[in-house]
Amino acid sequence: MRLLKAPDMRPVFNSEGLGDLMNAFLLQYLPVIIFIGVATVLGLGFMIGALVIAPKAPDTEKLSAYECGFNAFDSARQKFDVRFYLVSILFIIFDLEASFLFPWAVSLFDMPNGGMHVAFWSMVTFLVELGLGYIYVWKKGALEWE
Amino acid sequence: MLSDMSTVVTLAVFAPIVGAAIVGGFGRWLGNIPSQAITTGLLFVACALSWFTFIQHTWGGMEDFTVTVLPFINIGTFHSAWSIRIDALSSTMLIVVTSVSSLVHLYSWGYMSEDPSRPRFFAYLSLFTFAMLMLVTAADFMQLFFGWEGVGLASYLLIGFWFQKESASSAAIKAFVVNRVGDFGFALGIMTVYWQFGTINFHELFPMIAAHQGQTWEFLGQSFSALDLAAFLLFIGAMGKSAQFFLHTWLPDAMEGPTPVSALIHAATMVTAGVYMVCLLSPLFEYAPVAKMIVAYIGAITAIFAASIGFTQNDIKRVIAYSTCSQLGYMFFAAGVGAYQAAMFHLFTHAFFKALLFLGAGSVIHGMHHEQDMRKMGGLWKYLPITYGVMTIGTIAITGLGIPETQFGFAGFFSKDAIIESAWAAHNTPQGMFAFCMGIAAALLTSFYSWRLIAMTFHGKKHWEHNEAHGHDHHHEVIDGHDASEPAHDDHGHDDHHGHGHDHKPHESPWVMLVPICLLAVGAVFAGVGFAPYFIGEHAQEFWGHAIFTGPTNHIMHEAHEIEEMWVKLAPLAVTLLGMLLAWYYYIARPNLPKQMAAKDGPVYNFLYHKWYFDEVYQATFVKLTKILGDFFWKVLDIKIIDNLGPNGAAWTALKSAKNLVKTQTGYVYHYAFAMFLGVVGLLTYVFWLVH
Amino acid sequence: MDFNLALHLGLPETILAVSSLLILVFGAFRGDKGMISVSALCGVALIAAAFAAAFGHQGAAFGGSFIVDGVALFAKVAIYIAAVFIIVLGQGYFDRVGAGRFELPILILLAALGMSLMVSAGDLISLYVGLELQSLALYVLAAFRRDDAKSSEAGLKYFVLGALSSGLLLYGASLVYGFAGSMNFHDIAQSATTNLNVGLIFGLVFVICGLAFKVSAAPFHMWTPDVYEGAPTPIVAFFAGAPKFAAMVLFARVLQTGFAAQADQWRQVVLVLAVLSFVIGALGGLMQKDIKRLLAYSSIANMGYALLAIAAGAVGIPALLIFFVLYMVDTLGLFTVQMALSRKGEPVTRIDSLAGLSKTNMPMTIVLTILCLSVLGMPPFSGFWAKYFVFGAAITSGLWQFAAAGLVASVVAAFYYLRILKLMWFDVPAGDMDKSPLETRWIAYAAAAFSFPVVIVFLVYVYPLAQSAAQGFGS
Repeated sequence: MRLLKAPDMRPVFNSEGLGDLMNAFLLQYLPVIIFIGVATVLGLGFMIGALVIAPKAPDTEKLSAYECGFNAFDSARQKFDVRFYLVSILFIIFDLEASFLFPWAVSLFDMPNGGMHVAFWSMVTFLVELGLGYIYVWKKGALEWE
Repeated sequence: MLSDMSTVVTLAVFAPIVGAAIVGGFGRWLGNIPSQAITTGLLFVACALSWFTFIQHTWGGMEDFTVTVLPFINIGTFHSAWSIRIDALSSTMLIVVTSVSSLVHLYSWGYMSEDPSRPRFFAYLSLFTFAMLMLVTAADFMQLFFGWEGVGLASYLLIGFWFQKESASSAAIKAFVVNRVGDFGFALGIMTVYWQFGTINFHELFPMIAAHQGQTWEFLGQSFSALDLAAFLLFIGAMGKSAQFFLHTWLPDAMEGPTPVSALIHAATMVTAGVYMVCLLSPLFEYAPVAKMIVAYIGAITAIFAASIGFTQNDIKRVIAYSTCSQLGYMFFAAGVGAYQAAMFHLFTHAFFKALLFLGAGSVIHGMHHEQDMRKMGGLWKYLPITYGVMTIGTIAITGLGIPETQFGFAGFFSKDAIIESAWAAHNTPQGMFAFCMGIAAALLTSFYSWRLIAMTFHGKKHWEHNEAHGHDHHHEVIDGHDASEPAHDDHGHDDHHGHGHDHKPHESPWVMLVPICLLAVGAVFAGVGFAPYFIGEHAQEFWGHAIFTGPTNHIMHEAHEIEEMWVKLAPLAVTLLGMLLAWYYYIARPNLPKQMAAKDGPVYNFLYHKWYFDEVYQATFVKLTKILGDFFWKVLDIKIIDNLGPNGAAWTALKSAKNLVKTQTGYVYHYAFAMFLGVVGLLTYVFWLVH
Repeated sequence: MDFNLALHLGLPETILAVSSLLILVFGAFRGDKGMISVSALCGVALIAAAFAAAFGHQGAAFGGSFIVDGVALFAKVAIYIAAVFIIVLGQGYFDRVGAGRFELPILILLAALGMSLMVSAGDLISLYVGLELQSLALYVLAAFRRDDAKSSEAGLKYFVLGALSSGLLLYGASLVYGFAGSMNFHDIAQSATTNLNVGLIFGLVFVICGLAFKVSAAPFHMWTPDVYEGAPTPIVAFFAGAPKFAAMVLFARVLQTGFAAQADQWRQVVLVLAVLSFVIGALGGLMQKDIKRLLAYSSIANMGYALLAIAAGAVGIPALLIFFVLYMVDTLGLFTVQMALSRKGEPVTRIDSLAGLSKTNMPMTIVLTILCLSVLGMPPFSGFWAKYFVFGAAITSGLWQFAAAGLVASVVAAFYYLRILKLMWFDVPAGDMDKSPLETRWIAYAAAAFSFPVVIVFLVYVYPLAQSAAQGFGS
């Protein structure tokens, strides 16, 4: 799959035939439009389909919240322990930063020689920082549940 | 020689300010006696140096010169310097000012001996003296104006010296405000001179005047002679300072100040500054016939007008004050008819006898325990013999007694007769004739009220005995209850008034007060005979030198000597003797007559008693109008318009907008976010509008 | 690109980054007991960085993303020194309120690193990275007393609105990138010169709005009083000075490097912000009863004057640098005085509480008097010189109407400083003051002494420095 690149627009505005080039530029975004269209059609299609086709016979049991077979014994909007958020935030941070590794890994060996060294050590530095952060989180006890 | 003399005059001029600065700044730490000693000592030094200068100038053959002390203002072509100009006029004034001032300083040791703030008093006196010396030695208009305002300030401070007294502080303000009118004219006059001639320096200015004769100035479609205009405006300043008709109202009220102040400032020196200025500016006035005529008329009117009021007043100091006013009128009309020398001579002699009269009156007041009403005096000659003697000398001097055609006469005889003769010499002009008539009439009145003063104060019944009992009643009311057991000695009095009565009997003043008076009495007797040859006589030409300018057509002084009509010479003496006789008749022979006249409450009496209703008329017109105008400016223009639209309005707007602004600070994040959103949209719109 | 050169140019930042990480780990092992040593280490790191900056080379690295010029170095030194003072104040303050945590100095260090990146930003990415690094640290610092409702509220408000402003900035940055086709300021400038369109200008306006929030220029100032009131005082002292300096330098760089040719357009926008700022700052302060809120409005007004220097163009840059240094010292002094004053252990927060201070605490009264006179612009105090240079620059560029408006605003603002003086000197004291803590006392004295007379010596030496630093800025 061809990655979308940010277009360089300067020559575009300077040259003639601006309309054509503009169209060419917008054409690059065509798959996105098609994707949105398909998603919309599918999503709406299923919902409307279910609404039209499915039989409807509601009763109280069917309308109550499903709790793994139990009866609901508390409000669904109760407070969560802040530790849920802490863990999720930590997860997001490490998850996001790990995502830096993918483009790095893909392109590392395509880089020119000097650049490759810089790129390699940059990521190592980054990982060290991440590691130190992890040590901090650990020492602060953010990962301990009790 | 000249540089030595420069030092001498510089010391003479600056000695008083040194004293004023030391005592004014540190008087409280120095104490009373050192403060008095410093100021008085420095004044005597200044006095000695001034006499030395005068003697050098008159007999020592010293040339006129000017010492430049410091630059003052240098802007473009406008130059002024602090300088000391020595010529006949200024050296005369130097001795007048420093002599009277040093004697007054000395006199104040006794007169002010009970006052709690003596250092302040002496500092003011010295400050005044310095300002006066700056005035008389000025070499340009700027310094003249400085001295002019300086003496005004000192006068204000000294009139209001007893500022606890409401009458004193309002009198001080009155003097200040009335002088502002004159000073405004004076300032305009200086500007006119600068505008006309491009210089304010006397040495540069005087030679240029003749060439500017006939120049006119267009204003409101009228054309004025520029020289007359300048001279007239300057004369307005002189009118204010010398208390001439229309601007005289402050002088009688100025008597609220301590008596030495009245003697120094409001008799001998400051009030004569106007006369001095007119004589100094003789080169200008000689080419300003209209202004000169006005000077003569105003002087003559003042002479008769002030004298007419003088003989109905009962306050001893006010009588002398009106007398001063009247004598100043003499000087002005003398200058107005062109006899500047005679004016200066009268100024000179007047300083002695008028200071003498005031200090004598002060001695009486001192002896009477600060009683100034002559109706409550009488028969004092026995208690204050020396004061009586010198006051009589002063009175003879002011009335101008002397034998015509001889050298026998008191000071006033020489100077006043010279003035009246000069007026007669100018009798072919209307103002000369008018001045002569008024001069004779005023001489009659002068004689009458002066002898009236002597008669009421020193002769007749002892009104104070009776009055004093009253005073005591009042005084001891509070303790009546306690003393009720003691036997009463008379119907009126209470027990203790006899005990105190001895203390409260009039008493002669201490020697520290009498010596200055006696010295002035010597001056009052001999100043005339001694100096007449120099001021108006055969030596006049060399004495005055270039200090006084007489125009090519002005032969007044010469003509005054050549008068052939004998009656002109005898007339002043005759009216003086007549006045004396009348005073004797009314106040000694038939003492009840004046009271009956006063009781009749006739229109003439009232008119004179109320000083021609000047104060009332001014109150109803100028004061009221000014107050209305002031109220308008203050309440409407300032408060309603300027304050409300300006500072208050701005403050109100700021406060109002601050309140509204604070209301937007709600504390809700979504409001803040909304404000940011509005900011973005607003800026984008603004930029969009800018780009298109 | 020479990587060694890059390391060389980035030495101050490297020092800060490495030491912050190491100190963090050190602190994690030592715990909150070790806060004092963490503070000391952070202070040392900042001072080392300041030296590195003071004697650093000039140049550009990382493909122009990282610019080290005179202005950047000047600003860095000032920021680092300010941060040191804040660490000293913060150490004492949090110790006393019992909320000391070793993260505090490290966060200040990280914020300083962020500011350092901001002043050296050469493209939109480094701009944003620096800005966010700084902002995130500051959000946390604002809410550092997390058991205190007001502090938490301040942190939250700052965070939410800061996020909004970041959004604006990013939107603007993407518009600029979209229309200019480059992140780099120089390339943007080229593109803007050759073909300017409304989209680019709109992008610029958005960027300006985002930055205006950081410098708390009206109408993006609403957060300032609330955050100043709630956040711990040493942190507020930090907020009021260094970050604004960094953001203002960034402001100047974006406008004068990236959009040098569009000066006529952005000058209008900046002037609108400037006038609104000093008017709102002056008026808003009139009704305030809380000292810190008052100082918030004062800082809004002062940002108006700083924006005036930016609007003045190149001649305004030395004025901006001098203005900020003098302003930072005054602000630091004022907040320190507020920290120094307490009554029975309760900090003095209301202006009324200063009544009669001259009778209870003379030294602080004198300090506060000097500082108030200084901020209201009375010669010969430092605040006067700050305004003098800014207004002078504005007049040189023909913006005299705006200089006049600024003067009027400062006259209005003089009211609230003078009211403090009146309260202190002439009113009846409300009670005795506690003894001021040591470090607050000395920093307050130092600030007052700087305000006058040290400022004169300072200007003699530093003004030429600021002028040479500003040379070539924006080209």
